[in-house]
Amino acid sequence: MEFLNFLNQEPWRFILSFGVVLFLTLNLAAILVMGERKVAGYIQLRYGPNRVGPRGLLQPLADIIKLFTKENISPGKADLWIFLGAPIAMFIPVAAVWLVIPFAPGAVVADLNVAILFFVAVTSVGALGVIMAGYGSRSNFSLLGALRGAAQMISYEVPLILSLLGVVMLTGSLSLVDVVNAQGGGFWNWYFIVQFPMFIVFYISSLAETKRVPFDLPEGESEIVGGYMIEYSGMTWALIQAAEFAGMGLMAGITTTLFLGGWQPPLPFLDFGQFNWIWFGIKTALIMFTFQWIRWSLPRLRMDQLMDLGWKVLVPLTLVWLVITAGAMLVF
Amino acid sequence: MTIIFGFLAGMMLVSALGVVLSRNVVHSALFMSGSFLAVVGFFVMLSAPALAAFQLLIYVGAVSVVILFGIMFTQSPQVRSFSTIVNKQVWAGLAVALGVGGFLSYILATEDWGATEAGQGTRDVAAFGEYLLGVGPDSEIFAMLFQLVAILLFVAVIAAIVISRRKDTDIESASDVRDVGE
Repeated sequence: MEFLNFLNQEPWRFILSFGVVLFLTLNLAAILVMGERKVAGYIQLRYGPNRVGPRGLLQPLADIIKLFTKENISPGKADLWIFLGAPIAMFIPVAAVWLVIPFAPGAVVADLNVAILFFVAVTSVGALGVIMAGYGSRSNFSLLGALRGAAQMISYEVPLILSLLGVVMLTGSLSLVDVVNAQGGGFWNWYFIVQFPMFIVFYISSLAETKRVPFDLPEGESEIVGGYMIEYSGMTWALIQAAEFAGMGLMAGITTTLFLGGWQPPLPFLDFGQFNWIWFGIKTALIMFTFQWIRWSLPRLRMDQLMDLGWKVLVPLTLVWLVITAGAMLVF
Repeated sequence: MTIIFGFLAGMMLVSALGVVLSRNVVHSALFMSGSFLAVVGFFVMLSAPALAAFQLLIYVGAVSVVILFGIMFTQSPQVRSFSTIVNKQVWAGLAVALGVGGFLSYILATEDWGATEAGQGTRDVAAFGEYLLGVGPDSEIFAMLFQLVAILLFVAVIAAIVISRRKDTDIESASDVRDVGE
């Protein structure tokens, strides 16, 4: 018990919980890869991976062993430091944002008073990793993928940030803990009801930020064969994949926190106290499932359709809804 | 704390030197984002998380990315690296750098910093925004400046669209092109 109290002091608490969050992020990525393949299988009326372990559940372990033992190849003309730094530059921002998400009452690594700003700022750095990967590989496909990726991430950052503002205005705080606390007392208090258009815009923008179908032009395996990650293999490729899948989990977590009440139970009598993280887990998993559902159902957009949707539909919609939110706050 | 400060200062100086000494434009841009990251670290050390987040968002996430984006879009790989870093502007550049450095050092050395203290800012977004804009009983000019900058940026964005807009066909008369600008 004394040892626990000792661990609860400041530098140790932060270091320990940071380690736990990093562990969680890496495992989330590994499990989501398997989940992706399983969901793909069931949507296409087949089983998906089913050889390793019961019903294929140990597949991530096999994948990790394979990726660890694979040789790391880099192109002869590659800019080696940039080439090797890019996967790290992609992964660290994703892992860092998990620090500000509240998992249960009181269970947040860093309760920043500007957590939403932190999320927006750190997510925007991810584009740097994509550009580094595309430039460092010295390959035309990579460069094309990186340019597409950067253009897409810069464009969709605008509706992503604008759609957060409604929640910030209603809560009057930039802290994610305050946002979750403001949504207590049943699902009718969650922000996705009063901010429904913003919820949809945030969802679409987060699909685009994580470069998932139908916004997977930077990868586009049928035209540019894998985009900025074409030259990667072994652990560096695994790190890029981990960053992508952990990023998808992160966007699902942020959507849950901002619009679906975070760890708040859907009905007041289902409050489990400290065990409310289970609600956070269920909601996040549901959002992640819809991401995968969309991936296996929709075709890819064209570049001009992508830009049209971002700038001509989502941005005006968020601006109009911001004005409506401000007006409603003024009247009521 | 001293170790962290030393690390950040070292990172900043090394990346700043990297920006000017590297002969590859892309490397320079990446070094510059490293230098910006060190500034973010300084703001975090000074318990100014909002300022740190803005620095990260604007300088690392936007300025560096747009610079890199521009380099890759506009230049062929051969142009991206230079054979030497010394050019005709080296003396003028040195004079400007020394002047700015001397001016900043003079200000920092003569100002009294005893009264300032670092601390966690307010959680209330409304108060935060008012501090940020300087909207208060005594200083409303700050908000006015903000509005002026917003108009300037708006004009710049429209001008950029007009300039970069591809003309429909070269055969069309000049009056049609002028209509786009108005």
